[in-house]
Amino acid sequence: MDYGIEDKDQETVVRLRGRLTFNDHAKLRALIREMLQTKAKRQVLDLSALEFVDSAGIGMLLIAREEMSNVDKLLILRAAAGQVKRVLTVAQLNKIVAIED
Amino acid sequence: MAPDRPPMDHHPMEQPRVAALHGLGVPPERLERLSAALQLPLWRRGDSATPTRGAATVLALLDGVDSAEAAESWARPIAAWIEVGTLSDAALGDAAGRARRADLFAFLTTATANHVQLAARIVRAITDLHPLPEAQRDDMELAFHEAVSNALVHGNLQVEGMKGLSVAALERFSQDLAARLADPAFANRRIEVAVWLEADGILVEVADEGPGYARPEHMEFGASGRGLDMIAAIAEELQLLDGGRRIRMRFPL
Repeated sequence: MDYGIEDKDQETVVRLRGRLTFNDHAKLRALIREMLQTKAKRQVLDLSALEFVDSAGIGMLLIAREEMSNVDKLLILRAAAGQVKRVLTVAQLNKIVAIED
Repeated sequence: MAPDRPPMDHHPMEQPRVAALHGLGVPPERLERLSAALQLPLWRRGDSATPTRGAATVLALLDGVDSAEAAESWARPIAAWIEVGTLSDAALGDAAGRARRADLFAFLTTATANHVQLAARIVRAITDLHPLPEAQRDDMELAFHEAVSNALVHGNLQVEGMKGLSVAALERFSQDLAARLADPAFANRRIEVAVWLEADGILVEVADEGPGYARPEHMEFGASGRGLDMIAAIAEELQLLDGGRRIRMRFPL
């Protein structure tokens, strides 16, 4: 998985690309650290270019949500498609995380 | 690894079966010795010889990850992959025997299976044999990936899931995973994947050499613990066998 961060006034948008699986633990740690350093309250993960996510990837997204919440930031998952959208549904993540189309 | 047979109701659509041997990074002398012992002629891609005709398939013996990375190493007519590693000729013969009973078969070390993303490779091999609609393929890849990840991470590497929802839990997981992958005693443990294509479904077994697993009655979800539930939501059948060291899944076609 790779990512690019765009820091705007109102929100930080992080675009994830590729496959997000248990092997991406180090990248997720780095990403969470970077997100915590930005100013915006709204932290948006743009999932439109993410091709595949597994249960550990979902777990790491939940860790990101929790870490943002601890510093009064809001994590939003945006524009999931295909397999990623399907997994978010199977895992019923909409009950826990803010999801936008 | 239990060398048992596929379930009683298994009716193969055809009898593909291993008809030749292909070496991927295996020293020539050993490859020739194994070719004689297994009574399988050697095959090279581009050969127009008999082995590639009809439903006949090729068993690839691999040594090291370099040769296992090329997409070509996972393409038809190769349908079985056995990593040589530290296996004796007798153990390789046993594994080849199990490969002959399945439509697709892989017997790799944990390190190699993780490195080559085994689940995605096998799903591609399945869809090469039997094209599937995208949504069905995606679901099967997820279930497959979860089963293989469980076998590698929790089974063979004995790394516990992420407990709690914190970066600290993620760091602990990172460190444990890296440490175990660097320890040959864990990283050389084997994963075995067997696939049988049936008339109306795909049967898959994934086995590991870990301490086993008992599904708890009640599970506290932290950042981990969703994999098996996801498989259950996707697969038509799900069974844990051999004390949790082997998972059997069935997907409708």
